[in-house]
Amino acid sequence: MPTDVIVPPLGQTVDTLTFVSWYKQEGEAVRAGEPLFVVETDKATLDVEAPAGGVLRQVTARPGDEVAVLSVIAVIAGKAEGELEEFGGAHGSSEELRGNQDVSGAGEGPAQASGVQPSSPPRLLASPRARRLADRAGVPLQDVSPTGPEGAIVERDVRAYLGARGAEGEPAEPAITPVARRMAEEAGLDWHRLRGSGPAGRIVRGDVDRALTGTAPPAPATAAPGLAPADLLDTIPLRSVRAVIAQRMLQSHRETAPVTLTAEADAGRLVALRQDLRSRDLDVSYNDLLLAILARCLQEHPRLNASLVDDQIHLWRRVDIGLAVDTERGLLVPVVRDVAAQGLRQLARQTRLLAERARSGQLTPDELQGGTFTLTNLGMYGIDAFTPLVNLPETAILGVGRIKEQAVWVRDHVEGRPTVWLSLTFDHRLVDGGPAARFLQAVVRYVEEPHLLLA
Amino acid sequence: MPQMSIAEALRQAIREEMARDATVFCLGEDIGVPGGFGGAFTVTLGLSDEFGHERILDTPISELGLTGIAVGAAMAGLRPIADVQYGDFLFLAMDQLANQAAKMTYMSGGTVKVPLVMRAPVGATARGSQHAQSLEAFFCHVPGLKVLAPSTAYDAKGLLKAAVRDDNPVIIFEHKLLYGSKGPRTEKGALSPIGEVPDEDYVVPIGQGIVRRAGRDVTIVGKLLTVYRALEAAAILAEEGVEAEVIDPRTLVPLDKRLILESVRKTGRLVIVEEDNLTGGWASDVAAIVAEEAFWWLDAPVKRVSAPDVPPPFAPPMEQLYVPSAQRVVAAVRSLL
Repeated sequence: MPTDVIVPPLGQTVDTLTFVSWYKQEGEAVRAGEPLFVVETDKATLDVEAPAGGVLRQVTARPGDEVAVLSVIAVIAGKAEGELEEFGGAHGSSEELRGNQDVSGAGEGPAQASGVQPSSPPRLLASPRARRLADRAGVPLQDVSPTGPEGAIVERDVRAYLGARGAEGEPAEPAITPVARRMAEEAGLDWHRLRGSGPAGRIVRGDVDRALTGTAPPAPATAAPGLAPADLLDTIPLRSVRAVIAQRMLQSHRETAPVTLTAEADAGRLVALRQDLRSRDLDVSYNDLLLAILARCLQEHPRLNASLVDDQIHLWRRVDIGLAVDTERGLLVPVVRDVAAQGLRQLARQTRLLAERARSGQLTPDELQGGTFTLTNLGMYGIDAFTPLVNLPETAILGVGRIKEQAVWVRDHVEGRPTVWLSLTFDHRLVDGGPAARFLQAVVRYVEEPHLLLA
Repeated sequence: MPQMSIAEALRQAIREEMARDATVFCLGEDIGVPGGFGGAFTVTLGLSDEFGHERILDTPISELGLTGIAVGAAMAGLRPIADVQYGDFLFLAMDQLANQAAKMTYMSGGTVKVPLVMRAPVGATARGSQHAQSLEAFFCHVPGLKVLAPSTAYDAKGLLKAAVRDDNPVIIFEHKLLYGSKGPRTEKGALSPIGEVPDEDYVVPIGQGIVRRAGRDVTIVGKLLTVYRALEAAAILAEEGVEAEVIDPRTLVPLDKRLILESVRKTGRLVIVEEDNLTGGWASDVAAIVAEEAFWWLDAPVKRVSAPDVPPPFAPPMEQLYVPSAQRVVAAVRSLL
């Protein structure tokens, strides 16, 4: 009995996932428990293991597809079933089967030439670099012409496909005319590096001529306005993490009435406190200290620890603060739960762990929602003040800038003091300037006098 | 700025370190005998006149013995620069290097240091299998040893100084064809790179590689003599429009992984060239690191250009076949394009 390969349920609120890639091809042997395919949720990428051993068949999911949770995307057939399919399906001899195959556009490995597996499609040889680019740009590898060693698709082939594709999405043509290609090959010139001045960025005879004689190409007579496909550096699909960020940022911008208040705090005592803690092997970051400060302030100013649910403002008892983390795949905001109940050591450990898991794509959807406030720190990039967007459905978000030495009036003289800008964006629908300013004032006070947290 | 050969640069490094620090001394066979060459490759020539025979110590023909003395001296607070006349003889001292020097700090809970330097010439120079090996890989594999491989005069002086000042046991491999030794010790077929070497005190940091030639299409990593073969290959490839990036790691352990990985992420192709035998060699280790940590950036398989799995031959034409040439590197690169 073949075993269904299903898309597993992940997280409580996820209905569909993005299918990223297969580790195995149709017709390949699979062992139970080995990684079989990769899926992506809103914000994490996960490997899924094979549910059984056998041969992978009836593969329907392709890279980039949105697949429903619990849907069947392939089966794993036992060896015997696999064999029956191969010879039972088509009535002809193995030669006829081979003749029916469409082998254009895909590199044929040496094993195929010996005719051992007639009915499984030829294995696509593509370098990791080419696969990565194809995956990110949504290029179907079977449509790419390979020019790499051992008949493999390499990076330049995927780029050629992208460069040659017309705006209306016609099938890819080679990015060079046959005449130009022959000229280039005879002269031993690598034409992949030439810029084409022909239609749709195609490399024409003149380009090869000029490359061989070392002159620059002329400006095209009928220059297309804007950027030609050959100018394309890269394509990032608006999917998954990026799509979610796009949708949420726009929603925040449209639905809230954002106002940003800024204040400059003297960070001298905070810096000293952190240094002292670190000298005692308690490695806390400024974020950890700010989380502790925010927890206290939000308890004292519950209007800022609130969410809009339908048409009611819910003030929360517990303080759960999302911490913005910059990762390769985009902005992720894992939530630190019950900040007020945790000591600095616990907070430091948690934030470190969450940031690592954010960067390696291991956060679960539940860890990324349900916060009551958000903290975002751009200080390490030299930013002072900025206007963060409210992380809906919360009421406010605090942006932190860099700590820098400033010349400051202290009573009657100027001193160099470390200062830090704090930028609080709040949703004016839910809370007014006065209460928001008083909240920010409280944050500034605890930043300047952190010992008051003990009071 | 003075121009020097590698042998001269090493000599200057030893002289400066011995003048700077009274605990530094040299020991080896024939390194200070009056009327001698100054070691097998003239590196210590004249130093015994300057520093005397207690600090330029001639030993009997016993690599195990002299290395043992070096280990003991280092543990007792001195900073010995030991050397063997041919790297092949290091096998005789293996226990002292691998079991004693490399492990003493760990086994003593950090209370004992072994700040010794061992210098060893490597490379095939028509003297037969037991006088021609490149055996860096054996020592890269021993945790606790640092392994250096300078290929220019500037690096030779800077790295030897860094090695003397390092509190760990350090082995420095020098290629016989790169010394530039003159007079009766001139090597046939030597490359003898002469370079600018500052007169004053400086170190080349251990663990820092260098890009000898920048390029976009393929990364070639070599060590010692094969850095020059790689550069020759790069010149040939440039005429075909292929720009190779040549990296000289300078230190083998700890390896400057970041430099190599950054380069491979840029070019997508890697060829590693070494004079060592293929199986279980250094090139395999670098290839594995790249396959693990830069897999998704590779546009072609990783190629190793090494000597075949045979002992180095004695007959000169056979030795030419054995040692990787620039042409073999070029062929390897072409197979990846």
